[in-house]
Amino acid sequence: MYSKDAIKIYTLGAVMLFVTGFVFWDHTAPEWQGYQRDFRAMVAKKFGAARAEQVPEGLQQVWAKDLGRVDRCVTCHQGVEWKGLEGAPNPFKSHPQEILKSHPINQFGCTACHGGQGYATDVDAAHGRVEHWEEPVLGKRLSDLYLVKVRKALMQINCNSCHRYDRETKGADFINEAKKIVQEKNCRACHTINGRGGVIGPDLTFEGEKSPEQYDYGRVSGVKSEFAWHVAHFQKPKAMSPDTVMPDFNFSSREAQALSLLVMSWKRTKIPTRYIPGATPKDLPTEAELEKERQMMAGEGAFFVKKGCFICHSVNSLGIDTAAKIGPDLSDAITDVQSRFGRTLEDFLKNPTGTMSVVLSTQIQLTDEEKREAVEKLKTAYQRKQEQQAQAQKGAQQGLQKIEQKAQPKR
Amino acid sequence: MATKRTTWEKITWTWRPASEREAGDSIVRNFLLHWFPAKVARESLSWGYSFWLGTITAVLFFILTITGVVLMFLYVPSVERAYLSVKDLEYTVSFGWFLRGLHRISAHLMVAVVFLHMVRVFLTGAYKNGAAVNQNRPLNWIVGVVLLLATLLLSFTGYLLPWDQLAFWAITVGTNIASAAPLVGDAIRFILLGGNTIEQGTLIRFYVLHCFFLPLLVIVLFSYHMWRVRKDGGLACVDRLALGQKREKSPPIKAKTYSLLGVTSGMTVHVETSLVDEDKHTVQSSPNLTRRLALVAMLTTAVASVLTLVFRAPLEEAANPAVTPNPAKAPWYFLWLQELVTDTTFTIAGLTINGALVGGIVIPGLLIAAALVWPYFDKSTIRSVGVWFAKERRKQNLIFLLIVLAILILTVIGTYLRGPYWNFYWPWESWPEAPRKF
Repeated sequence: MYSKDAIKIYTLGAVMLFVTGFVFWDHTAPEWQGYQRDFRAMVAKKFGAARAEQVPEGLQQVWAKDLGRVDRCVTCHQGVEWKGLEGAPNPFKSHPQEILKSHPINQFGCTACHGGQGYATDVDAAHGRVEHWEEPVLGKRLSDLYLVKVRKALMQINCNSCHRYDRETKGADFINEAKKIVQEKNCRACHTINGRGGVIGPDLTFEGEKSPEQYDYGRVSGVKSEFAWHVAHFQKPKAMSPDTVMPDFNFSSREAQALSLLVMSWKRTKIPTRYIPGATPKDLPTEAELEKERQMMAGEGAFFVKKGCFICHSVNSLGIDTAAKIGPDLSDAITDVQSRFGRTLEDFLKNPTGTMSVVLSTQIQLTDEEKREAVEKLKTAYQRKQEQQAQAQKGAQQGLQKIEQKAQPKR
Repeated sequence: MATKRTTWEKITWTWRPASEREAGDSIVRNFLLHWFPAKVARESLSWGYSFWLGTITAVLFFILTITGVVLMFLYVPSVERAYLSVKDLEYTVSFGWFLRGLHRISAHLMVAVVFLHMVRVFLTGAYKNGAAVNQNRPLNWIVGVVLLLATLLLSFTGYLLPWDQLAFWAITVGTNIASAAPLVGDAIRFILLGGNTIEQGTLIRFYVLHCFFLPLLVIVLFSYHMWRVRKDGGLACVDRLALGQKREKSPPIKAKTYSLLGVTSGMTVHVETSLVDEDKHTVQSSPNLTRRLALVAMLTTAVASVLTLVFRAPLEEAANPAVTPNPAKAPWYFLWLQELVTDTTFTIAGLTINGALVGGIVIPGLLIAAALVWPYFDKSTIRSVGVWFAKERRKQNLIFLLIVLAILILTVIGTYLRGPYWNFYWPWESWPEAPRKF
């Protein structure tokens, strides 16, 4: 009994040792290690051993935090940011430098443009050639499958995540062509796109948001994919959905592919605004504020608006209002300056003191000609003020008389 | 007395107690073993009576606790990061895939083994009291049923945590079945989900239940379950031995009257364990029981580990409430319910039978209720305690087996033979190709 049990225990011990050994071996010999070895050998051959020593070892990743992406592609594609490896075979090739200037890797990662599974660390999973990953690398393999003539054309679908509202995007020829077609054929006659358009066809604003299961593949020959459906549908709408009223535009296969990429790119994206060209958040003045400014520009006091004086000062007598009311009203600047500083207005503008010395030397720099104009205008302002006051006095007297007249019969 | 040993002897020490006393002491003095008796009936050590299913369950629970605690350091229970952290486990954490795989396989095995354990206990009539006093095996059976339910809930709550499509929709199906309960259905679903949809509230609820409350419940109940086994005089097969002993008219068993300082009523557990003639039927627990325990523990670990290597844990696309996978399936151990829901949904003369109510609530509810009270209805004599397929219990064993078979068949149909739109597919029929984006 003892010996039999001993054999069982040793057998099980051996099994567990084997499992431990396997798991440990799997840990110490990952797939990417071979690529790193090859890369280092290549660098040593091309640039010398010293340079090869600098090649980082182990798992590498780019964390594009704002895009919520972790891309471990650089674990194998180690030469991406190197210069001089343009002619090297993949995965060691340098990335074309030009595009990286506006799309730095540390902010964009890899998969945001190329597709693929950034989390993954083995070849098939990383390129999305596995079940349960809907974003494969949009490269040559897929272009060949769909007979797209341009090798990187499919990738443009991802350009349009950020460049959606561009009329034209440099380097995204397929998308540009498709956008032109949308204008020329006036797709908006029937479809609503980005909130504008007709209601005969479905709203296409978020067409790319649909899942592949939401299309009927009964009439698709060949690959059953959303992309294939769209291409076939653009080429012959009735062939895919017999009841459709969408006309056949006789699109070429390139045009159909381009349009498919465009509509599939229309997704609800969670991209920070700074990644979207032209989408800078602005603090714009309201319609009422703009109207006021327009009025002030038309009047006698336009000078004070143009030069920015009205940011702090109002010139009441000329109808110039300030929102801030930081400085005094300039309507009686002629006398006011004299009483405050004991100097004439001309003199003060030439050699200002206090806050005005800072303002006039930095934010509002006036030429001598402009200073003369300022004094001129302020004299007018003073004159107007006098007139207005006189009128007001007259008005007040008249008003008083009226009140008296009205009040008398009561007595 | 310490003898001088070489290094080799120190490494390869063997345990050979020199005396019965030394053997007994080694059990009593060891904290981890003290809840075992010093001597144990040979019968209860046999592979063929119990298949050690309870022990296997305990070992699996132990593996799950160890792997689970490590996973807690690595998993983030938030809807934004849960999926990401599981991807990291798969691809970047050292041994992360193995840890997750082992945890998953052990969980599946535990559900299966707990169920088999229950089947074994029923078929051997082991929930019945024997001749000894102070036995309460029916109560332990009830505790067992609750432990089975707790195990299912543990597995169910863990199912959501990866936050992928598989998880999200399995929980959707599962909680929708629960909401079919009359009157309280919607409230139950609301409480389970922490809201009306599966969102952050659900995730954190399931996480806390999965990592704290349910394991705590299992540990407490498991401890009581084991203590009761001891209190009831060990496995039920020992009662059968005692019965046989009486027929042989052997001299009465020596009475020992230990008392636990008057703290508890009745006699101590030790008295209970000596139902049978010790010299004739029992062996020293050390090393006979401990060795088998080690063997079972090793076997369980080895099988679970090998299965982990063979069946990699799946991880589908990130959870997406807008896209329903076709078919959407509950976890496999609830698929018999999902299948039952389908099979009980039909319309007669314009009257639609609500399958979710009948198949999802009424039938499983009745089965659980029946299981809980059955020991009190089983009027067979003590001769069928601890006996596989006792003649007296033939009819109830047959009915029980038929129910088990029905559950298994429905589970197999739901798991392997149901395809898109819950249509029936034979194994040799291929499902329609799932479309892709590209």
